Amino acid sequence: MALLKLAVRNLLRNRKRTVITLVALVVGVSAMIATRAFINGFRGMIIENQTRGVLGELQVHHVGYVANVQSSPLTIDMVDSPEVRAKIAAVPGVGVVSPRIDFGAQLSTPDRTPPHEDGSELPEADRGTSTFMMVTAFEPALEKQVTPRRWDWIGAGRGTMSEAGDSTSLVLNDDFARALKLELLPAGAALPPVERQAALITGDREQALNGENVVIGGTFASVTANDRRIGFLPLALAQRLLRMEGRVTEYGLTLEPGADLEQVKAGLQAALGPEYEVHTWAERIPFLTDLVETQTKIFNIVSTIVLLVVLLGIVNAMLMSVLERVREIGTMLAVGMRRSQITRMFLMEGAVLGVVGGVLGIAVGLLLVLVMSQAGIELPAPGAKVASVIHPTVEPFFVVRTLAQAVIGSALAAILPARRAAALRPVEALAHT
Amino acid sequence: MSHLIEMKGITKTYQLGKTDVVALRGVDLTIDAGEFTVVTGPSGSGKTTLLNIIGCLDRATSGSYVLDGVDVGTRDFDDLAGVRNEKIGFIFQNFNLIPVLDVAENIEFPVAVRKNAEDPAALRARVEQLAKAVGLDQFLHHKPDELSGGQRQRVAIARALITRPRLVLADEPTANLDSKTSEQIIDLMLALNREQAVTFLFSTHDARVVSHARRALQISDGRMVAGAMAH
Ligand SMILES: Nc1ncnc2c1ncn2[C@@H]1O[C@H](COP(=O)(O)OP(=O)(O)OP(=O)(O)O)[C@@H](O)[C@H]1O
Ligand SMILES: [Mg+2]
Repeated sequence: MALLKLAVRNLLRNRKRTVITLVALVVGVSAMIATRAFINGFRGMIIENQTRGVLGELQVHHVGYVANVQSSPLTIDMVDSPEVRAKIAAVPGVGVVSPRIDFGAQLSTPDRTPPHEDGSELPEADRGTSTFMMVTAFEPALEKQVTPRRWDWIGAGRGTMSEAGDSTSLVLNDDFARALKLELLPAGAALPPVERQAALITGDREQALNGENVVIGGTFASVTANDRRIGFLPLALAQRLLRMEGRVTEYGLTLEPGADLEQVKAGLQAALGPEYEVHTWAERIPFLTDLVETQTKIFNIVSTIVLLVVLLGIVNAMLMSVLERVREIGTMLAVGMRRSQITRMFLMEGAVLGVVGGVLGIAVGLLLVLVMSQAGIELPAPGAKVASVIHPTVEPFFVVRTLAQAVIGSALAAILPARRAAALRPVEALAHT
Repeated sequence: MSHLIEMKGITKTYQLGKTDVVALRGVDLTIDAGEFTVVTGPSGSGKTTLLNIIGCLDRATSGSYVLDGVDVGTRDFDDLAGVRNEKIGFIFQNFNLIPVLDVAENIEFPVAVRKNAEDPAALRARVEQLAKAVGLDQFLHHKPDELSGGQRQRVAIARALITRPRLVLADEPTANLDSKTSEQIIDLMLALNREQAVTFLFSTHDARVVSHARRALQISDGRMVAGAMAH
């Protein structure tokens, strides 16, 4: 007897119950697919913000820099010249090369009003302050090609970043600028007198203190929780401030489309030699691995619970089905069907439920993913002021694994009902009313 | 020549909580191939218990039972599945058709569950031939719930015969049928006995049915009171 035929017909027998069981399975499976896709999209959004907004795909430093990155060491720097840039750009797969300096500085803001005629002190609220901040210096024209997302965030803030070579314009985090009550210099406006300008003060490579006047040319909107005390500065100004003319601490790189990240990294290392170190974006954001690991763990726990609840539903539905079919099972045993065949018949019913529910669930799940990724989910990253767009995706391996879980799980769920059915004694089963 | 059924000193005691219910108190019985035998007796006398033991659905508490040369008493249950399937056809009071299978599938079911399947075309032909014999050749693709009680019992008879059993057991096969239909079912079984030498053993309360039987056994309070030994 074709067990499959028998299983399908028995499932169709109590349609309402089968449909309810299937709906639970479909909801469970599709939720697993959609949630997974959302987590993937969330991760992709963070990666996108980091690679196309902060880091670039690859970074080149003088060897030892990343190990000491917390102190933004200016002494672990590199000569920056057209020859060096050309050498880097010549490595196959490398796109744009953007030189940078990361450093910490004291931002000193001017008094908000002119000094009193009588020489008396200004009220507290009008006096300038001094506060610590982190500065990333770069050439806007190059950096724009490596981390274009920065300019999206500037677009969501106020003003612009000047690309003029002699610009003294600093771009600050918008919240930071507002907290300091700093006013923007409108584009094209004449510079205010020096005593009314802000200044960046910091120790140079030799620990000597230096200062440069700056104006606030623009602001950018926060996209993460930890980008408040941050600003962007033209590279030339930073090099003057730090007495680092012709030197940088970092190159941010893009990849050419289709190039392999690890391969390009190896090529760079080989071309540049042991004086330099090359890192991929992933190596620069170890927190991402932790974040993804935590999310995956939580996801696994929740999806296991969901699957268990769904499978308990199957156990329950099939136990009811066994109870309704006691006399029929007695008949089957009487006419010579073996207990193992009864067991297989019910396992087959579970497996058919699993296949149908699993396939439908995956279809619904993929449809959800498609709709979500076409529409794009706008969601601010934690602590962000502007939304980033999430494009959920799901990997084929996960889809296959989920289907396997649904089918095998459903067959396993059928074991208990199947064993109960197979253990029936025919005399009593036949007498059952 | 050896008998089809040879029972000696069969007893059956049911455990009902702490009390023992003795259903059979030492039954001796022989039945030969080709017989048409009816078992009668008051309610609770042990008819069903006896038929269950003969049909290898249940085991005797003591006594010996040899069916068609097989010492049934020493076989375990799943082993007996094969014996039941090959040697015995069952007809039940409640018909007990498989509701999800149509008439043809119900008839072939006992053969279809076998490990080494029969040639499908030959099986189909035999199903159709049996359906014709019980007057259901127009109903092969009807589901049981589309049939009358009498028609269902005819399907059950055809199902009992598909394996060419040595013995067909029927426990009150007409109890759920009206008297006219009962008559037809009995006539059908008599005809099958006469024309195809099918051995029937069935139990009934119906005195009119008894009058058709070639051999009548009477059981009372777990003992055979008449007709136990072949005439
Ligand atoms: N499973 C059981 N457990 C306990 N006692 C049982 C069981 N089955 C039958 N009996 C008892 O065994 C005795 C014989 O029962 P059995 O069903 O064989 O009688 P019967 O002749 O078939 O009766 P009926 O004509 O009512 O069908 C009765 O006293 C009955 O109560
Ligand atoms: Mg009875």
